[in-house]
Amino acid sequence: MKIPLLVAIAAFLAAPVYAGFAPGGTAYTKRLETALLAEPAPLAQTLARIGYAHKLKVEEVRGAWLRVSEGKTAGWVFAGNLAEQKPSENKGLDGLPVAASETSAAAAARPLAPAAIDYAGRRGLAQARSDVEWMEHTSDAIKNDQVQAFRQAQKKGEFQ
Amino acid sequence: MNALRFLCLLLVLTAASGLRGQFGGLDLGKVVDTAKNVGKVAKGVAGIGPEEERVIGGSVAVEIAGTYGGLVRDEKIMRRVNLIGRTLAGFSDRPGLTWRFGVLASNSVNAFSAPSGYVFITRGLYQMAADDDALAAVLAHEIAHITARHALKIVARGDFLAGASSIAASQSGNVRNLEAQLQQFDLGVKQITETLFTKGFDPQTEYEADRIGRDLAAVTGYSRDGLRLMLQRLQSQSTADSKQVFSTHPPLAERIKRLQ
Repeated sequence: MKIPLLVAIAAFLAAPVYAGFAPGGTAYTKRLETALLAEPAPLAQTLARIGYAHKLKVEEVRGAWLRVSEGKTAGWVFAGNLAEQKPSENKGLDGLPVAASETSAAAAARPLAPAAIDYAGRRGLAQARSDVEWMEHTSDAIKNDQVQAFRQAQKKGEFQ
Repeated sequence: MNALRFLCLLLVLTAASGLRGQFGGLDLGKVVDTAKNVGKVAKGVAGIGPEEERVIGGSVAVEIAGTYGGLVRDEKIMRRVNLIGRTLAGFSDRPGLTWRFGVLASNSVNAFSAPSGYVFITRGLYQMAADDDALAAVLAHEIAHITARHALKIVARGDFLAGASSIAASQSGNVRNLEAQLQQFDLGVKQITETLFTKGFDPQTEYEADRIGRDLAAVTGYSRDGLRLMLQRLQSQSTADSKQVFSTHPPLAERIKRLQ
């Protein structure tokens, strides 16, 4: 019974974390930069960095990790850092690609938009505005490195 | 409301950062010129850029907080929902949005989201989410509504391409006209909030959010069955007051069936 059990465990580990990605298929980068790693581990050496909305070939699936390639460049990426479909490159009213601009420094935490504040004033929602501003302040006080530490401690994301 | 008109109004509002109640300091000529350019680039929901989404999202967030009793001002609860929420959102299709999560001071059982990254869960639902997997499932569903731009599609529907030039021409540049435009903007926000609070998204939209949210929870490392189990729990606890439970969503039984 040991061999079937080992086979089952191996099959489980090799199975895609969800049906979206499979060897031979495609995946797309969705961040301004995506690191291709030497091994399927979050702290492995970075072999290359790929820009936004690049099409990658899925070479291998190992649990929640994918080995992908773009031309001669290849490496491991956590599945959650890739998209099944190409991210939008449509331009917003500001002329920037909608999704790409979200990944830039311009997307840093910002307070309630002035026009939204005006809206709250017109609608008599001063208390609600105060609540949303408190929510923004309290949420923004949690820094990205704290979220990263949480992921690591809880074994979520690339730390599974 | 014509979607293009709404987009033009958005640009007026985002461009007019000096606009405060009395419309002081607003260069209407510049705004009108910019609004004319809106008509050239606005094509469906893709024409709503990050700044416009931020204005819509902030306004809808204020309405949500105002309608559902404000926020539960408990830093421990806020820390939990934001750590789990941002862990999920980081692996969504829009990881670069500024994601904020909060608990509404309402005992009803529901959750809402507003464009640009605002996610709300009621205290009633928060208390029913027994563990992190259940809470993550609910948050992932709301994150999916934002990443799929479901609320923005409400204002992007309609006769979108019609009347671009007439809309721009109608901006005669006087304050009375601007007041009328602000009223139109408010009506656009109302369209979204009526969907969120009363009518709900159409069932297919909710099923899509269920599917995207389930996959997001799974890839992040939370239970793939979290949402289904949470919905089953809600279903088993539904009473005569069940209209208060996800009243703006499709029937629980159908959602559970589709998640199996």
